[in-house]
Amino acid sequence: MSIPKTVVIGCAGVGSRLGLGQTKALIDIHGKPIIQRQLEMLQDIEDVRIVVGFQASEVIKTVLAVRKNVTFVFNHDYFHSKTSASVYLASQNANEHIFTLDGDVIIHPEDMEECLQTAEPFVGVTSVSSEEAVLVETDLDKAIGFSREAGDYEWIGPALLPRDSIHFSPNLHLYEVIEPSLPLKCKVVRSMDIDTMQDYNLALQRFKEWGL
Amino acid sequence: MGEKLMCGKPRIFMFDLDGTVTAQETLPIIAKHFNVLDEINDLTRQTIEGRIPFVEGFIRRINVLKRFSVAGVNHALENIKLHKMLVDFINSYPSNCRIVTGNLDCWVASLLAHVSCAAETSKAVVHDDHLESVSSIINKADVVLKYQEVGYQVVFVGEGNNDAEAIRVADIGIAFGAVHWPSASVMQVASHAIFDEGELCRFLRQLL
Repeated sequence: MSIPKTVVIGCAGVGSRLGLGQTKALIDIHGKPIIQRQLEMLQDIEDVRIVVGFQASEVIKTVLAVRKNVTFVFNHDYFHSKTSASVYLASQNANEHIFTLDGDVIIHPEDMEECLQTAEPFVGVTSVSSEEAVLVETDLDKAIGFSREAGDYEWIGPALLPRDSIHFSPNLHLYEVIEPSLPLKCKVVRSMDIDTMQDYNLALQRFKEWGL
Repeated sequence: MGEKLMCGKPRIFMFDLDGTVTAQETLPIIAKHFNVLDEINDLTRQTIEGRIPFVEGFIRRINVLKRFSVAGVNHALENIKLHKMLVDFINSYPSNCRIVTGNLDCWVASLLAHVSCAAETSKAVVHDDHLESVSSIINKADVVLKYQEVGYQVVFVGEGNNDAEAIRVADIGIAFGAVHWPSASVMQVASHAIFDEGELCRFLRQLL
């Protein structure tokens, strides 16, 4: 049985590296925007918070067409702040545990379900594929360190974190904010994020390979 | 009633009336009842579009409606649809809630009887069941600041142009878009936006 948690989806960014001129949560994956695909996996979650910034109105309208019972959290300073700021804002007054997800991530539904059923804090890792990856050093089933240089896996954002471990540090990436909480349990999750056109094409391909 | 706030401050929940507590806007209902809907809608649209400043739009709309019986206005609003779940929330925690409305005290008296909490309104002088004059027009932001100054954390829920400054200065400013899309000025300063009554109540309970 899953423990009530708050799911936070970060959709505030500009997506400038991708060059499509839109925030990445709205990118089409075989007929549906990424955010819709994520929401469809979260139907049993009561407390879903979506952080908006760039193109907030478009993201909101897209989400409301799928699900009305969400809370939108504004990160008005999305241009200057890093991802940890969005997660911090959304985690205020949230449940004890936060499941974080970036709005540009595709995850295999079976692994998402496994994540949502997990009660103990963890970081969800995937095989290394990004250029400027946040790498995760592991020891058996534990994540023991983050690095930009060396690691067995990549961390693209999914994690179940204690709400109170997320402090206000708008200039830090989320991995820097949660580093003091390591070691954390580590789960391999079939997933990828979309930062570049190459990632996007790979994601479309990967999605088809998953048979979805 | 829930965990103590980390900052140690008590929290107060403030709600706009029209379109937040009520599921319908009151002025069009009053206007339709007295057959002056087109005139009111025109002034409302101009105010929302920012072509007339709020206070002027407010005064001009009052001028259209002031000749009608105050009891008649209350009667017109008798069956107005309310956000029932939100009213239940307010009535469960009346000492922690306030209605903060630009609407006139004499017009919304029977409507406010549905909620057990105190209300801050614009005020009018009434004589013989008719509006003599408007004596004060509420500044919602000032209400927020007043409570913050005496040590409260304020949660403000609203959606109209005249809620924007209050939402901006509140500790938690929620744009509530269940009746219509919140005004752009509100969306630019809100900390949160919610478009479903059930979700609003769920979120508010997490703030208790």
